[in-house]
Amino acid sequence: MTDRLAAPAGLLIDRNKPVAFSFEGRDFTGFEGDTIASALTANSIRALSRSFKFHRPRGVLTMAGQDGNTLVHAGDSPDVLADRVRITPGLQVRALNTLGGLDRDLLGGLDRLARFLPAGFYYKAFFRPRPAWALWEPVLRRIAGLGRVGAPVSDTGCDKQYLHADVAVIGGGPAGLAAAAQAARAGAEVVLVDENPVLGGALTYRREASSDKAARAVEAADNVTVMTDTLCNGWFSDNWLALIRDRRMYKLRAKAVVVATGAIEQPAIFRNNDLPGIMLGGAAQRLIRHYGVRPGRRAVVLTANSEGYGVALDLGEAGVEVACVVDLREPAPDHEWAEAVHRRGIPVLAQAAVWAAESDRNRMRGVRAARVARITGRGTCGADVDRFACDLITMSCGYMPAAALACQAGARMVHDTEQPIYRVENLPDRMFLAGAVAGVYGSEAVVEDGRVAGHAAAADAGFRRRGRKPARRHEPESTGLCHPWPMFRHPKGKEFVDFDEDLQIKDIVGAVGEGYDHVELVKRFSTATMGPSQGRLSTLATVRIIAEATGADVAAVGVTTSRPPVIAESFAHLAGQRFEPVRLTPMHDRHRQAGAKMMVAGAWMRPAYYESETYESETQISAEARNVRDTVGLIDVSTLGGLEVRGPDAAEFLERMYTFAYAKQPVGRARYVLMCDRTGVIVDDGVACRLAEDWFYVTATSGGVDGVYRQMLWHNAQWRLGVDVTNVTAAYAGINIAGPKAREVLAPVCEDVDLAAAAFPYMGVREGRVGGFPARLLRVGFVGELGYEIHVPAPCGEALWDRLVEAGRGQGLRPFGVEAQRLLRLEKGHIIVGQDTDGLSHPIEADMAWAISRKKPYFVGGRAIAIRETKGLSRKLVGFEITDPAAPVPEECHLILRDSEITGRVTSVARSPVLGKVIGLAYVAPDQAEPGSVITIKVADGRRVPARVVEPPFYDPDGARQDM
Amino acid sequence: MAMAMGADEGAEIAAARRLGFADLSPMVRSGYKGTGTLGWVRDQDQAVPEANNAALAWSDGTVIARLADTEVLLLGGFDGADAGHRGLAAAWAEARPEMCFPVPRADMNAEVLISGAQAPAMLAKLCAVDLRPRAFPDHGVAQTVLAGLDAVVLRADLGRTPAYRIVFDIASARYLWRCIDDAAMEFAGAPVGLAALRHLAAEIEG
Repeated sequence: MTDRLAAPAGLLIDRNKPVAFSFEGRDFTGFEGDTIASALTANSIRALSRSFKFHRPRGVLTMAGQDGNTLVHAGDSPDVLADRVRITPGLQVRALNTLGGLDRDLLGGLDRLARFLPAGFYYKAFFRPRPAWALWEPVLRRIAGLGRVGAPVSDTGCDKQYLHADVAVIGGGPAGLAAAAQAARAGAEVVLVDENPVLGGALTYRREASSDKAARAVEAADNVTVMTDTLCNGWFSDNWLALIRDRRMYKLRAKAVVVATGAIEQPAIFRNNDLPGIMLGGAAQRLIRHYGVRPGRRAVVLTANSEGYGVALDLGEAGVEVACVVDLREPAPDHEWAEAVHRRGIPVLAQAAVWAAESDRNRMRGVRAARVARITGRGTCGADVDRFACDLITMSCGYMPAAALACQAGARMVHDTEQPIYRVENLPDRMFLAGAVAGVYGSEAVVEDGRVAGHAAAADAGFRRRGRKPARRHEPESTGLCHPWPMFRHPKGKEFVDFDEDLQIKDIVGAVGEGYDHVELVKRFSTATMGPSQGRLSTLATVRIIAEATGADVAAVGVTTSRPPVIAESFAHLAGQRFEPVRLTPMHDRHRQAGAKMMVAGAWMRPAYYESETYESETQISAEARNVRDTVGLIDVSTLGGLEVRGPDAAEFLERMYTFAYAKQPVGRARYVLMCDRTGVIVDDGVACRLAEDWFYVTATSGGVDGVYRQMLWHNAQWRLGVDVTNVTAAYAGINIAGPKAREVLAPVCEDVDLAAAAFPYMGVREGRVGGFPARLLRVGFVGELGYEIHVPAPCGEALWDRLVEAGRGQGLRPFGVEAQRLLRLEKGHIIVGQDTDGLSHPIEADMAWAISRKKPYFVGGRAIAIRETKGLSRKLVGFEITDPAAPVPEECHLILRDSEITGRVTSVARSPVLGKVIGLAYVAPDQAEPGSVITIKVADGRRVPARVVEPPFYDPDGARQDM
Repeated sequence: MAMAMGADEGAEIAAARRLGFADLSPMVRSGYKGTGTLGWVRDQDQAVPEANNAALAWSDGTVIARLADTEVLLLGGFDGADAGHRGLAAAWAEARPEMCFPVPRADMNAEVLISGAQAPAMLAKLCAVDLRPRAFPDHGVAQTVLAGLDAVVLRADLGRTPAYRIVFDIASARYLWRCIDDAAMEFAGAPVGLAALRHLAAEIEG
């Protein structure tokens, strides 16, 4: 670690804990607390990665995670910021955007082709002839690079947590600390968020600054939660803030927010300003104070404010020879640090600029000299150039407010031409700015501004009584911090405006020349501000260049729109932990024990079929279905929705909710229910069982019951009938026992219900005890056989299942799954809502006009259905059969064709073992719906299969078997 | 219902104080719904919370939560007493009051209790509502979503220990238990039995 400074430099590192890691296959050592970038700089490594487009070597620029220069691949993570991610033992780091490694990048020569690759070149090249893009795209993507996601991807362990605060303070610098302390004094519960490992912000690395006292005061307060190493990456409505720390995303909801995110130092624009070794003044100070790293050996300090003189002094004290200070201004200001620089004999070149930087022959070493010239006008320099050998150029030329969060909340950036700085205006309610982000500089003024903001935020959060309103005694210092034009166009170019996308001044000017004269258009054409740094370092320069190119005022150009996230974030953080509820029926374990192949049905797990060592799944499904037809089967229908509709107006309520008639439905009888929405589209079906004059037990589809319940509650609130609706789906286990032997099996365990056909006919409903449990019995026929649907309290479901299995022993009873049930119902021609209907299906085209009562005055969707009827049908749901045993079996959603015209699609299809042919349901054109018509189905391999339209049901059309 | 999860009662009490979770599904639980519900319960000389999303305890330990102007949820006390539930059920069966209907809460819901100082932090991983004691008072009720599931969360402190009773869909019981187990790992949370909860509850008198 040849460039490591002695203590006390190195606030964030623990020199007692060396950490070994590797970079580009070479082993290095740093200290615990080092970032990848600081550890490599300490080892005299200057180039960390290469640029996205021209593959130019790039190194440290901000040391604050604000730029894309330091993106590397670390461990399993692509695209991590080397100046933010800390080294860990054994961490393997690789540079990005290289082919063959950082030192020997085979694409390093792209830089020499830059003149042929201006911004937007790919919009004009590679597209002719037309197929060319398909060839070029993979090549360009490979060259453009960035990180590669490894596969297979493992669970990252990311999760989320909700937080709440009266006041959230974003930014733990002097303004944020003051705001947090003030809000806490007012009694507010405060969450203070800072992306750095320690509080203090600029106080932790700027010259002659200390954060200790303010940070300690905040940390000691009981009602302040300090979250360091935490990135606030987005603002959303109602002060919902997305915070990321380690592997967790926190969702912080605050009554008021203080944004104290400071300002972002801006680079100067000159030829080769991207070479490794050219960095912001603040980056050099961070390296020195945070990590105890000497940023170079011989430096040229470019400045336009007093901060640069502080940088020069800091560098000198860190053992860096300062070749000169280049001050863009004339005359140099009267400031104690400037005087100290003079006293130390460091040459100061006033009204001068770094006109260009020279690269070392070994490009990995970065800058080797600065060419300095006198400024002759805005953005121009004289011909006389002085050359200063150096391996470090620092830049302190101005700031932009770090106002991304405020802008996401609706604030606007407005240019103050006099200062010249950007100010943030139009803040939303309950958001406050403090410190540099508000354009307030100067140590005392910043703290006062923080106090004012903290007080106001606490008051907005409801803490008005405690604490006196803080006063402002110091004037903000913002004059002279930002140079109006630290940009110098060079005849040979390579003055980079946007480092992310290798955009030079001529690219922005060229975009305007192409006619893209609005900042948002320039952004999209040139990709300026669209890279990983999201314009934090390029917006200001881009806007200035546009202003000059269009002849507009900088203030009139505006800035691009700011959206979350502030910094690139991982999908893993967004995804977090998966919360996907899984619902299990009371008989779930019995199904698993019986070898069920489970399937997902909405949130439920249901047996698709019961696996057998003997048969393939299709054979097994057929066997299960056959068993129901021949003897008796048992299926778990606990997933069926269950709704209690109770009250004196229960029948009237159903009359309005469903298409059929229920007012005269006798107690003890079930009746089909079909629900439509207001447009007449079918949304659900089931049966309504009348248990008493004022009590219906209504079933709904497994996936539809929650929506049905919501609809019922909504309409009940509108109609104000004397009725109450309760969703009791999970309260009941349901078992359907079906087949010719169903009565025989059920009778011994059914204690008090007469199962005889005359006493308990088809569509009858009874209450009694089955297997010792209180039960509701429904004689319904979804599968088309003699059957009883038994509903018992959920805790009794498993025991009832066991008793029925036991009762059916020797009778041929076996369980069947959802797949067999689907086949059996298809044989009966019963639709499944959502499968045989879609978002447009109404009862007439679904051939369910029989389920509509024409005598009642109103039901939901009735008016729409009437209108649809007057307009005629555009399609019709029909049954079809394919009798040719050699024909391929169509699948659901295969198309119905008439010549080349699509007239419909298959909704359900299966080979029926009992019928010995393929049967199905399909939408067809109305003139194809007549039984006997022949339709053509196009199957997956393109073949056309003829099928004959038939009238369902396919099986037992008279219903004799279910009426037994 | 498990009285204890292991042999070390002291460790279980410590876990319940830090972060414990217990399956209370077998405990008595009932509910009534309909526009006549609140009036009828009051007519039975039983107190009803003055506002929605609030709860109070009856003398027999039964906790009644008012979920809406038309619905109440009744949870059993830790000592197993169910006189309140029984009395109400018997009265309902006899009177069949107008527009007041029983809700089969015992059959349709499972119940988990989460106790301990770390309970609010753990719940913050599952639920968006601020359930910390400063924001969510004892006997407060939140009808919310927990790990993607509809749930009723009722704060019912055990003596001096924060505790939350969570009533939710019984069909998702295993799912939520896994979610809680996973979320609790960070805080060294552990399943606890009824004995530990009773111990903490008794501290209020001690």
